[in-house]
This record gives sequence, C-alpha cells and structure tokens, in this order.
Amino acid sequence: MTHRRWFTPWLLAGPAIVWLAVFNLWPAVNTVILSFTNAKPLGGGRFTGLENYGRLLDDEQLADALLNSIVFMLVCLPLLTVLPLLLALLVQRKIPGITFFRTAFYTPVIASAVVVAVVWGWVLDDRGLVNGLLRQTGLAGSPVSFLTDRWLLLFSAIALTVWKGLGYYMVIYLSALGNVPRELHEAAAVDGAGSVRRFWHITLPGVRPTMILISALISVSSLRVFSELYVLSNGQGGPGGRDMSVVMLIQMYSRGFNGHLGYASALSLLLFLVTLGPMLFLMRLNRKAA
Amino acid sequence: MRRIWAALTTTAFTAAALTGCGLGSGDTKNSDSVASAAATGEVKGKVSLQTWALKPKFTDYMQGVIDGFKKKYPGVEVEWLDQPGEGYSDKVLSQAAAGTLPDVVNLPPDFALPLARKDLLLDVAKADPKLAEEYVAGGVDAYRFVGQQGTFGYPWYLNTDVNYWNSELLTKYGLDPKKPPTSLDELIAQARVMKEKSGGQTYLMSRKPGIGDLYNAGVKIMSDDGRTFTFNTPEAAALLDKYRDAFKDGLLPKDVLTNTYAGNSKLFNAGTAAWTTAGANHITSLAVDNPTLAPKVVPSPALDTPPLYVQGVSIPKSTKNPAAAVALARWVTNAENQAAFAHLTSIFPSTKASAGDPFFSKSDGTNAGDAKVIAFASLAKAKLIQPVQVDDAMSTVINQQIALAISGDASSKQALDTAVEQCNRLLKG
Repeated sequence: MTHRRWFTPWLLAGPAIVWLAVFNLWPAVNTVILSFTNAKPLGGGRFTGLENYGRLLDDEQLADALLNSIVFMLVCLPLLTVLPLLLALLVQRKIPGITFFRTAFYTPVIASAVVVAVVWGWVLDDRGLVNGLLRQTGLAGSPVSFLTDRWLLLFSAIALTVWKGLGYYMVIYLSALGNVPRELHEAAAVDGAGSVRRFWHITLPGVRPTMILISALISVSSLRVFSELYVLSNGQGGPGGRDMSVVMLIQMYSRGFNGHLGYASALSLLLFLVTLGPMLFLMRLNRKAA
Repeated sequence: MRRIWAALTTTAFTAAALTGCGLGSGDTKNSDSVASAAATGEVKGKVSLQTWALKPKFTDYMQGVIDGFKKKYPGVEVEWLDQPGEGYSDKVLSQAAAGTLPDVVNLPPDFALPLARKDLLLDVAKADPKLAEEYVAGGVDAYRFVGQQGTFGYPWYLNTDVNYWNSELLTKYGLDPKKPPTSLDELIAQARVMKEKSGGQTYLMSRKPGIGDLYNAGVKIMSDDGRTFTFNTPEAAALLDKYRDAFKDGLLPKDVLTNTYAGNSKLFNAGTAAWTTAGANHITSLAVDNPTLAPKVVPSPALDTPPLYVQGVSIPKSTKNPAAAVALARWVTNAENQAAFAHLTSIFPSTKASAGDPFFSKSDGTNAGDAKVIAFASLAKAKLIQPVQVDDAMSTVINQQIALAISGDASSKQALDTAVEQCNRLLKG
C-alpha cells in the first residue's frame, strides 16, 4: 500500500527553495529595502524615502554611464550575434585542420577577462604595439589616444568584448547548426538554390531561436559591462569619469568603509529595469517568430 | 502557491526589519571600563595580532617581536594573523561588521576613522596616558580625528616621499642632476627642455597633480570641522591651468589622464620618465626591478611640504583581553622594536627615543642611504596632507575631474567645482 504524504514534494524541493530564498530572493528584497535608506557597510542606515531615486535624476555621471552601457549594447549586439554565426559556418566545414581553428577561436573565452584587458591595455597604450605600428607605418604622427579619449576608450572596450566573445557564441551556433536538417539543404540544392539563398531560407530560420537566445545573453552582459572598461581605464573611468558603466558606478559607490549602500542599491534597481527592456523585447520577438 | 509566496515575502521583509537592513549596529562597550581594565588588568591569556602584508619578508622579525613579548609576559599566548596586501580594507570591513576584529590590528588612519566613528575602537590615550610623551606628535595626531574624542591607535612606523631623478637621462638631455628642480615652475621648464631634446620620447613629468599638489599650492583642502571640501579655489585652478598647458605642449604622456599614481613610478622604473616621487626604500626595490637603473638614481627632498604617511595599530573596544592587547600594541610599537624594524627596511620609527639614532641621519654613501637620510630629515616638516576623510570613491572623483581639467575638456574651475560638489555629497552620505 502506498502512502502519499502531502509534504513529500516540499521535502524534495526544499533545499532548492531554501537556496533560492537565501541567495536570490533575500538579496533582491534587501536591495529594494536598502535603496530607501542611507545605509553604510558599518551599520544602521535610516529610511530616507525616495531620496536615492531623486539623486538618480540629478547624477550627471549616471547619464554618461547609461549612455555608455546602451552604446556598448547597441554595438555589441549585432556584432556578437552575426559574426559568431559566420564564424560557425566557416569552421563547421569538414576540412583537414579545422579543429585547430575551432580551438584557436575559442581560446580567448578561456582567458580571464581581467588578464585579457590588461594585455589589451598594453597593446593600446601610448607606447603600445598598435601605436608603434601606426607610427612606423606613418599612419599616425602622434600616439592615438585609445585609452584616454572618451569614445576611443569605449570602442576599444567593445572591440575587446567582441574579440573575447566570438568563440563562445560560435560554439553555441555550432550546436544549433548541427540541428538544421541536412536534407533541407540537399533538397534546396537540387531545386537550384545557391548558398546565399540556402543561408537565408534554411540556415537562418533554423538557428533563429538560438539567435534570439544569444541576443538576450549579449544584451544583458553588455549592459552589465565592468571588467573591460575598468581595467582599460585603470579603474578611473576615463577623464571626468565619462567612460564609466553603470556597474562601475555601483562599485564606486558601494566599496570601502563609507560605501553608500543605499544609492548603490538604487543604481542596481535602475540597471535591473534597464536590462528588462531588451529582454522583454526579445521575448516578444521570440513569441512572434514561434 | 500564492500564500506560500506571500509568506516568503513577509518573512523576508520581517527579517530585514529585525536586522536593521541586514547591518550590524556595532559594539557599544564603555570606553572607560575597557581602558581601566587595560590599565589595571594582568597581562596573560590569549591575544591576537593582525598585520598587513609582512609575511614572508618580515616573518622572522615579527616572530622575534612576538617571542620577546611572550618572554616578558609568561602565560600570554599570541595568535599572529598576517593579511595579504590586496583587499585589506575589505577584510577589515568584514571583520568589523562581523565583530571579529583581532585584539590588536594594524590600521592606517583612514581605516581607523570610520571604525572610530562607529565607536568600535578603544581610546588608547585613556588606557595609556604616557602615549603622547613617547610617540612623535605627527604620529599621534594621525589617530586623533575631528569630531571624535580620543586617540584611536598607537603610531607604528612612518614614511614620506623623496624625489628620485634618473641622472643618466637628465645628463643625456642637457640637464644637471646636481641641480634638480625645486619648484613647479622649474620642473615645467626642465620638462620642456627634456621633451625638446628627446624628441618627445622621454618625459620629466609623468603624473597629474593630486591633493598634495593642491595643498602645496596653498589651497585649503577641507574646512576645519572636516564637514566640507574647499579646494575649488582660484589658486587650485591656476595650478591645474599650468598642468593643462604643460599637457597640451606634450610635456606629460597622454596616459597620465587615466593612470593612477603607480603609473608614474612604472614609467620611471622603465626608464621612460626621469622623475618620480616615492618612499625612502624606492632605490632598494628598484635594484630588484631594474638593477642597471638603480645606481643612476639621484634622490633629493620633495619639492614642497612632504607628505607624512603613518601606519599604526589599534585596539577594538570589543577585545576580551584589553590588558594584553594594550601591552602587545605598546610592545610592537616600542622604540627598540621599531628601531629593529627600521634597520631592516627604509621606514622610520614613530617613537621620540629613536630620533637620535645615527643610523637614520648618516648615509652609508650609497644613493639608497642618501634617500634614507633625506627622508628622515624631511619627516620633521612632513604633514598629513590628505585628509583622512578622503575615501576611495572621493579619490576616484578627484582624479577624474583633475584629468578632465588637464585634458582641456573642462575648465579648471568647472572641474574643481564638480569635484568639490561630488565629494561633499559623498561625505554627507
């Protein structure tokens, strides 16, 4: 005889629920609470109403940081959605030695973001490899300010992110391409469709769900960019702090003995809401496509 | 299901309210009772000591100090913890928040201030009335904070900045290493000569100004009550204007705009810049990083008022063994142990009794020995230039705005006004 105890499912789900409550739900709730206080790391904090949210509207650095994060996303999104697909199509072919190229394209993914950014910092420095080449070839008379000009620094960080992310998204596309039925390509070829036409009408619809997933991942990670900009600007965020991202601002306000946890929490919630925008748009796009 | 979510949310909010936003409220033990226990209690039992990045280089020295303490006070047991250099402030912060600070802890003044404000540190002057008689005034003053009653640490070792010049580069580009610049105007003039003669490949100046430079230009950094920043003055703007013009003329490398202070010494160590400022032991460390450059370095006193850097040890009020903690703090920072430490590396004791030690005032004839003597002589006029209220976020803001002014993207006055406004906002919380 089997006894069906009402708590059995709860017992099984219990550890996961506790985990989620302690490490996801509670920090999220605490962030909301802190955003209405002037809390410091060493205790206390009183309720300050909407003061931190009012300060968001008055923060010029935040306006710059939001613009930087959005530009970062708008440039990274198409590049990291399309380039890895083209790369995946290239390395998908079964030709001798292709495994070497697959591994080579994936190698930057394994390296730590901080280490890669430090190396790029040396390469793009006034006395770095790129400026040395530009001067030797006569393309530039004086060093190009890759790391000190507001927009050049931002685009250097974007280039780094794209270079480092190519291999990761390429691997995701490779598995998606493996699921596109080969028969469709063969039938289309028999009907006289060229490779471009097959790409548009067979490959692209076949990987569309993966493309939307990758777009969602890129938009979230781009809006939360930190290491690349932080390391390339030596933690300074460029002259005037005009190259800071929203996460860099959160880090600046929350660190140390006098960390402004209340304002940093308000910034975190703002970033959460900003991140929701592209996510909802992509979910809608996915539903439409389905 | 809805009821479960409602219950979970209610629990979370209640927990938040009960824990005061998840933050501790600090220990509020009475300072007088702890001080009295420290003064009258017997030195025995367990006591912990936390130092900052002394292992492995000074393991033998510290172990010797601890062994000496145990010999003097049989029955006392010392637990020595040494924290790595990186992330020390985070470590201390988490210990303070969790109420697990060791009995004696190495805290520079800017770490001690927020803890003193939260009433977490013992007023050591109460436990040890002879403190001011035995330690130099600058060291003791570093642990007295505006708005806080008491002295919140024993000064340990001191240091200051010395100018270092690359004599080979100066000579190569027609400058006299025996007559290094003694003012900002002379520095800019010589930087121009170096830029022109080296074709812009070598720099004399390679750092942007900071709070120390503003102070030396006669700018008052903060109000006397420590509540507002005041460095947005015409004198400060004039100083930044000079640097902006020098930057525009290519006398400084472009990356000074984003480089932190370390960038300057890196360029010096690489032989790209001919001037840097650093502590008295710079030549000794340079001998490891760039042995061919080290013998060519000439030290000279800082351009104006040298900065005073102080390290000290504090005692949390929550210590369970105040008598042993105070005795250990005194022991670690006494004249004999500090002198032994200073003989191992170029730091200077904070005890008055060490002032007459000829080791600090007589050079052995090497450039490193000269640097030590210059630094020791400079300590007499060195000042705590950077207010202890300046935290990491404020330093970042000041650096960013000074870089903006020097790049020419904002006027000096505008950048200074923004920096002061943002720092005041951060100060008020």
